[in-house]
Amino acid sequence: MEITTLSQPNLRTQLRAVYVIALKDWKVFWRYPLNAVSQIFQPIIWITPVYFMGKAFSVNGQALGFAAYSGTSDYMSFILLGTVLTNFILTVFWGMGYALKNDMDAGVLESNWLTPVPRLLILVGRTLSSLLVTTITSAIMLLIGAALFGFKPTGSVLAAFLTAIPMLIGLYGFGFAFAGVVLLIREANTLVDVSSFLVQGFSGTNFPVKSLPTWLIPIALILPLTYGLDAVRGFLLGSDTLLPIPVEIAILIVFMFGMLWFGAWVFHRVERRVRTLGTLGQH
Amino acid sequence: METSLPNSLGQSGLASDLRALFAVMRREWVIFTRYPSWVIALFIWPLIFPMLYILTARALAGPDGSGMAVFMETTGATDFIGYIVIGTTVWMWQNIVLWDVGFSLRNEQMRGTLESNWLSPTWRFSYLLGHTGPQIVSMFMFFSITALEFALLFGVKLNGSVWMILLTALAAVPSIYGLGFAFASLVITVKEANAFVFLIRGLVMIFCGITFPVSLLPGWMQSVAEWLPQTYLIHGMRAAAFSNAGIRELAPDLIPLLLFGTFWLVVGYFTFLWMERRARRTGAIGQY
Repeated sequence: MEITTLSQPNLRTQLRAVYVIALKDWKVFWRYPLNAVSQIFQPIIWITPVYFMGKAFSVNGQALGFAAYSGTSDYMSFILLGTVLTNFILTVFWGMGYALKNDMDAGVLESNWLTPVPRLLILVGRTLSSLLVTTITSAIMLLIGAALFGFKPTGSVLAAFLTAIPMLIGLYGFGFAFAGVVLLIREANTLVDVSSFLVQGFSGTNFPVKSLPTWLIPIALILPLTYGLDAVRGFLLGSDTLLPIPVEIAILIVFMFGMLWFGAWVFHRVERRVRTLGTLGQH
Repeated sequence: METSLPNSLGQSGLASDLRALFAVMRREWVIFTRYPSWVIALFIWPLIFPMLYILTARALAGPDGSGMAVFMETTGATDFIGYIVIGTTVWMWQNIVLWDVGFSLRNEQMRGTLESNWLSPTWRFSYLLGHTGPQIVSMFMFFSITALEFALLFGVKLNGSVWMILLTALAAVPSIYGLGFAFASLVITVKEANAFVFLIRGLVMIFCGITFPVSLLPGWMQSVAEWLPQTYLIHGMRAAAFSNAGIRELAPDLIPLLLFGTFWLVVGYFTFLWMERRARRTGAIGQY
């Protein structure tokens, strides 16, 4: 007797699966509208102490010390831009690693794993809705931030946008590897919080990495996100960049391919291991 | 032959209530130590959260440090790292209490054990109070590790009495945890309350001067700050740690802290009683 599988996976069914995953997350997110309000105001709340701290460092409203490091005294535009990019960075970190943890807790990870959908596609699907939400909330946040603190981009928005794309795609590689780690250690909250906070700090979300103590600068320089943030700011604010912008873009493109391969490799290795151990359903 | 049955199998009394309280505390301690990530929470967070603001302050100071002199003059601080660490640590304390104590009943609800616990003949407030004991112990460890890390790694030196620092922290316990009790009860009612945590900790972050003096805020914001106990806690802690302030100098911070503490403990306890009655009437305990 010939055994055939009921599932007929092809490109269309897989795209449908991704769409359904994203739609489910979209519905869950908007079920609690306060989450959206929180996503808009949270980053503004976090940078408000920096705004007032900057005043304590300024003479006649000019942050001259900051300008000496970054080439611009407009530290709030510098930070607002860093915050927007960080929102996307966090979305990929949270979107995959944390989504897996939620599935574990809800007891649906094992059953989702049995569906004939590639695991990496499930992970990508978990980020689509949050990327769209992040785009909407970041745009509103930027408008409110501009009204409260001032935001004065002077350069090319299109060039900055195109530069951010390889950075974000490369982050998916990070996210895959990270999701593998979550599968292995299961308790994800602290790991997600700490790692995203460190990456965010060292890649210069709130400050130019040149201002880091000398012994910390190498850590910042090995993070490709540093060059992404730097190049986007270079385009939009005309701030001084660490390397010439074309070199930074080249680094981002290499990072994109390298991280995608590495992340997928780590994830598959870990996933096979947890299936062998039978710990996929445990939390 | 008549068989006499006790009215209830549960014999509640002070001893049994205390036993229940200790049982909850023990369980929470076991859960806390079960996940190794507590090491990260205790050793890494005290260091990296203030670091973000400290590094931003370094950038604002400029390569020649000229901005630092302006900051010292504006804030009256003698040590900018210590100044920021105290503000951010107070923020972390309130944040952790909101997530731990504030979500304690909600977590029980999500685990499906709240309803069955509620049916046991114990003092129900012990479920909330039991969470608080281990939380205070872990927070004490958190503060000690913070002080040690910044002293060893960044040379932050206390210029005041440790007893005065402890006294100021102790005076803030009722308001910090009273707010946590009130919050825990509300969370049971509104369920998804993450946004409320963000709101409360956001108020502390914006108005209480965690990285800057409150005097830099516009007038209306300063008025809001006066109604938040964390403003007095941060001010008092900085004075106790770096200005060698004694009881007399700390009194303007300690008195409001104790008044706010009394208010929040009363609000916390009565909110719990209200929630308990409401939950029994509506059957909301088991819903999530």
